[in-house]
Amino acid sequence: MPTASESKLLTPELLNQLERLELVTRKVFRGRMKGERRSKRKGQSVEFADFRNYVAGDDLRLLDWNLYARLDKLIVKLFLEEEDLHFYTLIDASLSMDFGSPTKLEYAKQLAAALGFVGLIRTDRVRIETLGQGVSERGPILRGRHSVWRMLEHVEAIQPDEKPVTLSEGVKNFCLRNAGRGVVVLISDLMDKAGYEHALRYFVSHQVDCFVIHVLSQEELEPDVKGDLKLVDCEDQDEAEITVSAPLLSRYRQTLNSFVAGAQDFCGRRGIHYFLANNQLPVQELVAQHLRRRGLVR
Amino acid sequence: MDTLFRNSLGPTSWIVLGMIPPAIFALYFLKLKRQPLEVPSTYLWHKVIEDLHVNSLWQRLRKSLLLLLQLLMVALAMLALLRPGWQGPSLRGQRFIFLIDKSASMSTTDTADGATRLDQAKQRVDALVDQLESDMSAMIITFAKQPDVVQEFTNNKRLLREALARIEPSAGQTDLRGALELADGFANPDRVMNEEGDQDFEVTTQQDVELYIFSDGRFPSVENFSLGNLRPLFLPIGLFEGQNLAITAFNTRRNEERPESQQTFVQVSNFAAQQQTAVVELQLDGRLLDATELTIPPGGTASATFHLGGENEGALRAQLDIPADFSDRLALDNQAFAVLTERSDGRVLLVTPGNRALESALSTERANRLAKVEKVSPDLLEKAEFEAQSQTEIYDLIIFDQCAPKTMPQAHTLFIGRLPPLEDWQKIAAAEPVFAPQIIDWQRSHPLLGLLELGNVQIADSLLSRPPLGGRILIDSTEGPLLSIAPRDRYEDAVLGFEILGTAADGTRTFNTDWPRKHSFPSFWLNVLEYFAGGEGASLTHNRPDRLVELRVTGSAQELEIVLPDGQQRRVALDQPGRLTFHDTGQLGIYQVREGSQVKKQFAVNLFDREESDIGLRSRQDSEDGLKVVDSLSIGYVDVAAQSPTMRVRRELWKPLLIGALAVLMVEWYIYNRRVYI
Repeated sequence: MPTASESKLLTPELLNQLERLELVTRKVFRGRMKGERRSKRKGQSVEFADFRNYVAGDDLRLLDWNLYARLDKLIVKLFLEEEDLHFYTLIDASLSMDFGSPTKLEYAKQLAAALGFVGLIRTDRVRIETLGQGVSERGPILRGRHSVWRMLEHVEAIQPDEKPVTLSEGVKNFCLRNAGRGVVVLISDLMDKAGYEHALRYFVSHQVDCFVIHVLSQEELEPDVKGDLKLVDCEDQDEAEITVSAPLLSRYRQTLNSFVAGAQDFCGRRGIHYFLANNQLPVQELVAQHLRRRGLVR
Repeated sequence: MDTLFRNSLGPTSWIVLGMIPPAIFALYFLKLKRQPLEVPSTYLWHKVIEDLHVNSLWQRLRKSLLLLLQLLMVALAMLALLRPGWQGPSLRGQRFIFLIDKSASMSTTDTADGATRLDQAKQRVDALVDQLESDMSAMIITFAKQPDVVQEFTNNKRLLREALARIEPSAGQTDLRGALELADGFANPDRVMNEEGDQDFEVTTQQDVELYIFSDGRFPSVENFSLGNLRPLFLPIGLFEGQNLAITAFNTRRNEERPESQQTFVQVSNFAAQQQTAVVELQLDGRLLDATELTIPPGGTASATFHLGGENEGALRAQLDIPADFSDRLALDNQAFAVLTERSDGRVLLVTPGNRALESALSTERANRLAKVEKVSPDLLEKAEFEAQSQTEIYDLIIFDQCAPKTMPQAHTLFIGRLPPLEDWQKIAAAEPVFAPQIIDWQRSHPLLGLLELGNVQIADSLLSRPPLGGRILIDSTEGPLLSIAPRDRYEDAVLGFEILGTAADGTRTFNTDWPRKHSFPSFWLNVLEYFAGGEGASLTHNRPDRLVELRVTGSAQELEIVLPDGQQRRVALDQPGRLTFHDTGQLGIYQVREGSQVKKQFAVNLFDREESDIGLRSRQDSEDGLKVVDSLSIGYVDVAAQSPTMRVRRELWKPLLIGALAVLMVEWYIYNRRVYI
C-alpha cells in the first residue's frame, strides 16, 4: 500500500493493524453490489438459505435435482446473497472542532480515514461527508482497496467550515442525500447550543446503525485557565465572563460530566452507540481497542 | 509617652500614606479588564455561570477578595506605623548594666509552669533589651559566688540576647559585692595617667550608668561600697512565701561509743509556713542504706542520725523525699553528698626511746581519728629494714624524738631536740644548746600553732633551730628560734629545738619543759597530725560550690583526672607535688579524682546554705499602708528600694503587625497566582 503510507493520516503501523479488522453491523442491510456481507436478499453464495417451490421463470440452474428425483417436485434451492455494506462517516467540521492539539478535526479526520480504510479493504461502500455539505453536494462513493488513495485525498481536503451549520441541519441534509441504509459514524463534539437530541433523532428515523463518536479535547475536559477571563465562542462570538476559581472549575466539571452522561443516556435509549473520545487518545488505540470492544469493528 | 500609640510619622507622610487605599481602589477597578480567550464553545460555560449565579453574593466577595486583602495589608502596615503597645515605663538613660543573680536560690520555680526565677529574670532583661534605643548600650553581668561578665557594653541587641541565652543557673551562693565591684570597674573608670604627657585625664567621660539588679535578695547588705556613677535599681524576683525543704547539714563521723563504725548526721530545715513531714533517704553508692521520717516545724530544723554499721567506704547521698502534697520550689537542696573514708588514713611513725607525755598526746581519740601512730624505738634506725621503709612513701610523718636518722626519709619529719642530718640545717644551727630560753613570739597564723598559747611555757635547755633558706621560724625565744619549719623537696621538716623528756646530766630521764602540763601541748600535737597527716578531712566533705578545693594526693602523677558529678572529665595538672587544687566546682555532688582508671579520692560539694535555701523574698511591713513589701537592698550607705515585682515593660505590637502584613501580602500573591484554589 505505497500510496497510503505516504499519508499523514494513516501510518504504516496503523494500517498494519487495520488490515486485520472489518466493520461490523448488527443490522442486516441490503447492499447495492456483490460484496462480502450477508444481505437480506437471497442470491448466490455457498451458504444455503432455504428451499422454495419453483415458479416459472426461475433459473433452472438453481433447481435441486436430487429432491426432484426423490419427491418428483420442482424445488428451488436458495442461497444467501453476499453484498456490500454502506458505510458512511459524517464529520463535524465546524469551527469548534478546530481546537486542541491535535485539533479535534484532525482527530476526526484520522479516525474517519482509519474506519474508511477498514471498509475499503472489506469491499464495503465507503462515503465520507461533512456536516456542512448541502443537500445536493454528495461525497464520492468509494469501494475497493484501490480507492484508498482517493479516500485519503478526500479526507485530507476537509477544512474547518467557515459558515456555521447546526448539527441538526447537517444531519438532516445527510439523511436527505443518502437514502441507502448502513452504518453511520458521526464524529462530532456535540457542542451545539440548539442541542444534539434533534439531530440524533434523524438517524433513528432513518433506520441506520448509528455510532456517535464524541470527540472532546483535553482543554475541554480539564480546562487550564486562571484569572479573570472573557471567553469568546469561536462560532457565534458569544461571550462568557468568568473569574476562575475552584468552585467554578468543579462546577464546570460537573456540568461537563452531566452533558456527557446525558448524551450517553440519550443514545443508549435509542440504540445509538455512543463513544467519548479524548483527542489525546491515539486513533490506533481507539480503533483497535475501544471501538472493537464496542462492536464497530472486528 | 505612656499612650497606646506612638506616632512615628509626620503629617506629610500620613497624607501620602492615606492616599494609598483610594489608589488601590482605583487601580483595582481599572485593572478589571477581562482577558479575552477564544474557546471552542461557551455552551458549557454558560451553564456553569448560570449555576453559580445562585450564590452571587459570595461570588462578588470572592471576586474582590484580592482588593480586601490589599486593603487589609495596608491597614496592618499603617497600624504598625502607629506603634501600638502596652504601657510600661520606658528605659531612661544611656548605659545600662544588668546584674543577674544566678545563685542556687534563683533555680527556684515559683510558678506552676516550671520557669525558674532565673528564667523570669532573663525574660525581664530580654524585655528591657527590646526597648534599647540605638544610642543606648548595655552589658550583662551574672553573679553567684563569682561575678561573670556575660556581655560587655554593646548596643547590639542580638549579642545581648545571645548572651542572655547563654546564662546557666549555678549552684553557688550569692555574693553581690563582687558583681558590684565588677560593675563599678566598668562604670567608674579611674583617672588614667597618660604615659607620654604626664597628664591626668579621664579616658572616658563620666557617665551615669543604670544598674538593674535582678535577684531574690538572699544576701547580706554590702558594706563599704561606693556606687559612684552607678544608679541602682533593685528588681526583686520571687515570692514572699518560700515553700522549701532543704538539707542544711550532712556529715559523717566516727561513732563515739563504737569507734569502729561511723555515723551520719542529717539536718533538714523547713522554710515553709506549715509543719512538714518528709522522708530522708540515705544511699551509699546508689544503694539504699536507711531512711527515716522527720517532722519539721515551720521555720525550724529537724535532724536524724544514721548508723552506718560496717560501711566504711563510698559515696554517701542523702535524698529528701518530698511529700506529694507539698510543692518544693527548690530542688537543688533536696540532696546532699558526703564521702565516707577510712579517716585514719594518715600514718605517723614515732621514733622515740620512750616519751609518755608525747605518746599520750598522740593517742587521744581525736588523734586516732586523724592518723594511725606507730611507735618504734631508735634502735630500729640502724637497721637496713628501716632504711628501705623510710625511702618509700609509707608514712606521712615521722617524728624523731631525741634521735635522728642517717638519711632523710621520704616523708614529712618532725625532729625533737635534734637537727636533721642535712647540711642546710647543720651548718646554720649552733650545736651547743642554750639555757632557759623565754618564748617571746610565735606564728599564730601558721596551722601548726593555730589557737595555741605558748607564753607560759618554761624550757630548761634547747637547741636553736635555725631553718635553712626558704624555711620559717615558728617559735622565737630570747635566745633564738625554737621551732622552725623548712621545705625539702615536696616534704616539710619541722625542728623543735627543745626536748620534752630529756636526759639529765646524771643520766636520769626528766622533763626538759613544763609544756606537757599546759593545754597547748595536746593541741599542738593535734595540729601536727592535722597539718602533716590528717590534712584534708574537711576538704572531702565541706566544699561549697564555686570555691577552690585543695586536696592532698599521694603518688607521683603530674596530672590527674577529675570526674564531675554529671560525668564530665577535667584534666588537672598538679601545680605542686602532692597538692591538687581544683576550681571547677559549680555542680553539687561527688567529684572523683582519678589517676588512669583508679579512683584516688572523692570529694563532695554541697550547698548547705540556709540563706540560699530560704527562698522567700525578704519582706517588711510597710509602715504606711501595712502592706508587705520587699525589703530594700543596702549597698554602702544607699538604700535601694525594691521595685514592684510586677513591674511591666512596654510590649510593642508593631512587629507582629508587620509580620501579619507580610503574611497577608503572601496570601494575596498566592491567591493572585493560583486563584484556582480558593
